[in-house]
Amino acid sequence: MHEDSIQQRLGLAPGTPPLVALKGVSKYFPGVIANEDVDLAVYPGEIHALLGENGAGKSTLMNVLTGIYHMDAGEIIMDGESRRFASPIDAIAAGIGMVHQHFKLVKAFTVAENIHLGWDATPARISRKALEERTMRLADTLGLAVKPGAIVADLSTGEQQRVEILRVLARDAKVLILDEPTAVLTPSEARDLFAALRAFVARGNAVIFISHKLDEVMEISNRVSILRAGRKVATEWTTDCSETSLAHLMVGREIVLNDMRGDGGARKIGAPMVTLEGVTLKSEYGTVLKNVSLSVRAGEILGIAGVAGNGQRELTYVLSGLVAPSKGTVTLDGEDIGRAGARVFAQKGVGHIPEDRLYAGMAPTLSITDNAVLREYALPPLSNGPWYAPRRALALAREIARIAGVMVPDFAMPARNLSGGNQQRLVARREMRIADKVLIAAYPSRGLDVGAINTMMRYFVEMRDSGVAVVLISEELEEVLNLADRIAVMFHGEIMGVVPAQGADIEQIGLMMGGQRQQGQAA
Amino acid sequence: MSYRLQRMPVAAPSVLFSARVLSVILALLTAAAVLALSGKDPIALGGKVLSSTFGSRFGLEDLGLLFSPLLYCGLAVAVGLRIGAWNIGAEGQFNLGAFAATGVALFVPGPAWLLVPLMALAGMAGGALWILIPTLAKAYADVSELITTLLMNFVALLLVYWVATGPWLDPSGMALATTARLSVSVPYVWGIVHWGLPLALMLAVGLAVMFAYTRWGYEVRIGGANPGAAAYAGMPVQRHLILVMLMSGAIAGLGGMMEVAGTVGRLQGGISNNYGYLGIMVAVLARAAPLGVIATAFFMAVILNGGIVLQSQGLTTHTVLAITGLILFYAAIVDEVARYKLIPTTGEVTPKGAR
Repeated sequence: MHEDSIQQRLGLAPGTPPLVALKGVSKYFPGVIANEDVDLAVYPGEIHALLGENGAGKSTLMNVLTGIYHMDAGEIIMDGESRRFASPIDAIAAGIGMVHQHFKLVKAFTVAENIHLGWDATPARISRKALEERTMRLADTLGLAVKPGAIVADLSTGEQQRVEILRVLARDAKVLILDEPTAVLTPSEARDLFAALRAFVARGNAVIFISHKLDEVMEISNRVSILRAGRKVATEWTTDCSETSLAHLMVGREIVLNDMRGDGGARKIGAPMVTLEGVTLKSEYGTVLKNVSLSVRAGEILGIAGVAGNGQRELTYVLSGLVAPSKGTVTLDGEDIGRAGARVFAQKGVGHIPEDRLYAGMAPTLSITDNAVLREYALPPLSNGPWYAPRRALALAREIARIAGVMVPDFAMPARNLSGGNQQRLVARREMRIADKVLIAAYPSRGLDVGAINTMMRYFVEMRDSGVAVVLISEELEEVLNLADRIAVMFHGEIMGVVPAQGADIEQIGLMMGGQRQQGQAA
Repeated sequence: MSYRLQRMPVAAPSVLFSARVLSVILALLTAAAVLALSGKDPIALGGKVLSSTFGSRFGLEDLGLLFSPLLYCGLAVAVGLRIGAWNIGAEGQFNLGAFAATGVALFVPGPAWLLVPLMALAGMAGGALWILIPTLAKAYADVSELITTLLMNFVALLLVYWVATGPWLDPSGMALATTARLSVSVPYVWGIVHWGLPLALMLAVGLAVMFAYTRWGYEVRIGGANPGAAAYAGMPVQRHLILVMLMSGAIAGLGGMMEVAGTVGRLQGGISNNYGYLGIMVAVLARAAPLGVIATAFFMAVILNGGIVLQSQGLTTHTVLAITGLILFYAAIVDEVARYKLIPTTGEVTPKGAR
């Protein structure tokens, strides 16, 4: 124990106790050790990063701390007392609040209403105006600018996150837990968030920052604790670490994340495989795609960069035939099939790894077999005329699981019992089997750990090398830069520009993500 | 070593089956306890129910007549559940099926070999027609079928009451509230049990095969579990929804036709006898599996028959309603409890805080 040196390095008075300390915390699920014997102390004024792969137990640990789960062993110590939180309400009353990865806001309510929802301090009778004034005062005091009267659904993700944070801080949280907060933010929004977090801890509070992004852990945290397979591997001062050493601690092996384009000169990029021309898409929310023209060629990876919610999802719908464009054409290998429907697209060799696999790519309550054969159930040998052969489906499911490297104890088990990474691997392998011409991957690495992301990226390289046109939509600029041949940037349903990835100017891409058109680009 | 309860994401099929059986036993025990408290002898009554149901040919034939409509209605609800639709309207579709079949029998002249199949078709068409509006409203306007199918029941019920006491009233003057005896009937297969029962059993097997071994069955399964995934795979989700719901209505309608043309012989008000509502329970207890419906419909028939026996012992029909309600009640509880598992905890456990 080097408690003294921790307080000294954080500029605290000697003997200052931690705001909250976990001692020997264990949490078991059937057959799984989610956490075992984890110690963690968080001091006033520190941003403490919690780093680990998917399934390392970060979220479980924080769910224990905030009273969502009950630990099987160990204790939580605050103010020298052992505490046990029966629910998140107890935890927030004790000053521990969490902002989850998926926001828990009521979208149809205003910001002010969301802030005051389920809060003791909310006056029982209050006018809308007074509520908004209260919110404004809170926002000013806590240094988080929000629009109290705005409906949450109309806000950007960054703004919604600020509302979530304000909601927690307004309840006098001393310890703010953030679960992968930057996953949904633009670089500039992330900078604003970091500034707000620094101001928060400067007032004697603490932040626990869950992440698996090494660069931001290096940037924001004072100390970092690394979890692996449910156990804490180490707690280090961030300044003593490098991205490489953290990656090593996190996965227990060296990970190489670098340029995967390979030898650019030797690779042959073929003819356009899929082309969008003047595609406009109108939905009930207005015009979601505006005059999009794009071409992806055989053997190339086209990266689509941009802040989530700028038309990327709709673009994947048009590219995979789920939605017919309101205007414009989709040409696949020389044939206009824009209105043919998703089945025809799939039959003609378009694979699609959807953004939200649980809502589109899979039926989570059905068996793994049913899910694995979603693309090929209608083809021989699985189907013969109107007949469907469950045994052959099982054989195909086994085959897909084998290639995907997913251990499946029981193929009749509902697919939701698989981890996110394994679900994604199965979906990816299923789609790769049918993607003879085009593979569309929407945020394939979202929520995955470094190892699983690496696997995904290798899949895409493999597809590209076999002459498939790959469309990679990602919010990780680094990922697109490393993998894609060209990068198209989307903003408000439009393509702001297309640049070659090699030697791309990140500053320029950032500007396009923020809505500036590429210099000298004709619309 | 200590134990703690852990909620599992899913329960094993064997556990679920035992849970079903347990819920039935608990319901019967509760009913027995209430009967005992009100001064009856539950064991004697239970013995009476069993002996008069299974102890004689008459009992078994009666059982068969109850089994058949429960099968049709159970299958109707189960089929709807396959695509995620709650058909609460089997009762109304059953009435409409009976109504349409009666219409054919009363007003279309022809030989029995032609009329009976024609009545079956009319029954199915009537049932399908009665679910058509809820189906289209769900498919195109996302209107909850729970409400619409339920409300249609009252219309159907009153329609049958009206025709049976008004325009179609038996002209002979012998009956006050029924139509004339139908000129044709579904042939008997065993005593007073008609072909409606074996047909329903075949239908259950046929549906089970369709759901498990056809491409259509796979698509319905995906569409019922996650319409988003079905659309993603390019399946015609809406078409399947419409077809399956119409099928559901047609099956209930066929049940109504069998009831009027096989069991009762005349159309009368209340001919559905709550079979449509009991069908919901039959389907839910069977987890929407067609073969499971055979078992749960049989079981429900025993309960209903038991009710008739109990009535002769001075108990009201409400006793049976109470027992069926208890079964569903316990099934819901036990289903939830079945997901919990006792897990031995390793290591020391700190004492739980104040509870």
